[in-house]
Amino acid sequence: MSAFDTSWMILTIVGVATAGGLIGLDRTAVGQFMVSQPICAASLAGWMLGDAATGLLVGALLELIWLLDMPVGTFVPADSTVAAVFAAAIAILGSTGGVRLSHVGLSILLSIVLAPITMLADHMVREFNARIALRVQADSATVMDSGLAGAHLSGLWPFFFKSFFVYLVFIPLGIIAVRLFARMPDQYHRAMELYVKLLPLLGVALVARKLSIRTFDQFLFGGFIVALAAALVFPASMPMIILLTAVGGLLGANYLDQRA
Amino acid sequence: MQSLGFAYAMEPVLRKLYPEQKEFSDRLKLHMNYFNTQPYLASFILGAVVGIEQDRVEGRNAVTDVQGLKTALMAPLGALGDSFFWGSLKPMAAVITVALVVGGIWWAPLFFLLFYNLWHIGLRMSLLFVGYRSRGDAVALMSRYRFTGWARQFKLISLVVLGGIVGALPVWRPEFKPEFRLPGIQLAVLGMAFTIILVAVLRRGGSPLKLMLALAVFCLVLAMAGVV
Repeated sequence: MSAFDTSWMILTIVGVATAGGLIGLDRTAVGQFMVSQPICAASLAGWMLGDAATGLLVGALLELIWLLDMPVGTFVPADSTVAAVFAAAIAILGSTGGVRLSHVGLSILLSIVLAPITMLADHMVREFNARIALRVQADSATVMDSGLAGAHLSGLWPFFFKSFFVYLVFIPLGIIAVRLFARMPDQYHRAMELYVKLLPLLGVALVARKLSIRTFDQFLFGGFIVALAAALVFPASMPMIILLTAVGGLLGANYLDQRA
Repeated sequence: MQSLGFAYAMEPVLRKLYPEQKEFSDRLKLHMNYFNTQPYLASFILGAVVGIEQDRVEGRNAVTDVQGLKTALMAPLGALGDSFFWGSLKPMAAVITVALVVGGIWWAPLFFLLFYNLWHIGLRMSLLFVGYRSRGDAVALMSRYRFTGWARQFKLISLVVLGGIVGALPVWRPEFKPEFRLPGIQLAVLGMAFTIILVAVLRRGGSPLKLMLALAVFCLVLAMAGVV
């Protein structure tokens, strides 16, 4: 790697860390417009790095997995935005001569490491921000001087820096891991390719388990049969299949409501 | 931090309603008391509190306990909002989006953002005005919005589409589709059986992280054994 390539890589990583930090603000601190959801965040990171398709692939694989890991009560979930941006970035930046599916699989596997780290970091950020609120409450002069806006908005920085530093530390490590993995024997690559192809089913299982109390849910099976028939008997495009199943679901839900 | 956010949102209104600095400061401090609810439904409480503060200044209602109202509303609205927005609207939008992506629709994330935010921003804005007009009347809220009914419908639609994702396995994009040399029906049935096994494992206490790791080990074993 030439000095120019190294400098360019460092700049790219800092750029991804900055963009990832800004996207991450959407999780809790600003707006919550869902740009921070893995499917959007990874696609954006991929687009910035010149490979939106890989970003979309990573985002779609991680979306269902982290979808219902919700911040309910005092529970702080793992930061799925960091996982998605990290996985997309290391898959793209770590691959030379095109991203292989196995690199995507390894990148997603490596993003697991970040889950406990981001949970701990998020917890620390929230404690820090709670102290800002307590300080403002105790300091009536701040209120009188209209320092409230400054104090409130200062709570954004810890959220930004949490993600920014995680990216800055772990993306270079991830890139090295992907480059080392590229030299490994073929069976490891086949394993990671299969991993990518089984992840959507794990995502479906994770969401179905949270949405239904039954292992054999009638709505899950109903959708399965309708989609299978639409795909095989009356070959239809995916949007048509989804429309058919969604309308079927709506009719079923209305029927159950009326019966109740 | 929501308490500070609530006070931050109230500051322009209070400044207009209470020109006298001491009273403004006292009222602002009152709104810094503990507050925690679902962020989108907070706009209903915010609207209600603005209305009550206005009534107080205009002498229509000087006795209403603003903090009491906030305390009474924040927990039930938190539960309602978590269940509707996080537990049903977001899953439905995401499940449909992922279904479109595995079918090769590249603009699916735009659909996700558009669909989700039409609900999100629409409800957030209208709830502010409903809260203001009703002065925090939860009955007015529940009669206008069928949150629990919608949540139930959205969850059922999500489940159906989830089943649809597995049923449509034969037409998945090559990046996602497992390369077993099986006819379409058998591939889909195998996919469903695998999904049901995963659901059963999850019911026995498996976590996403553990299952992701276990799945990687499973794939590695299959590759080492020469199955794939």
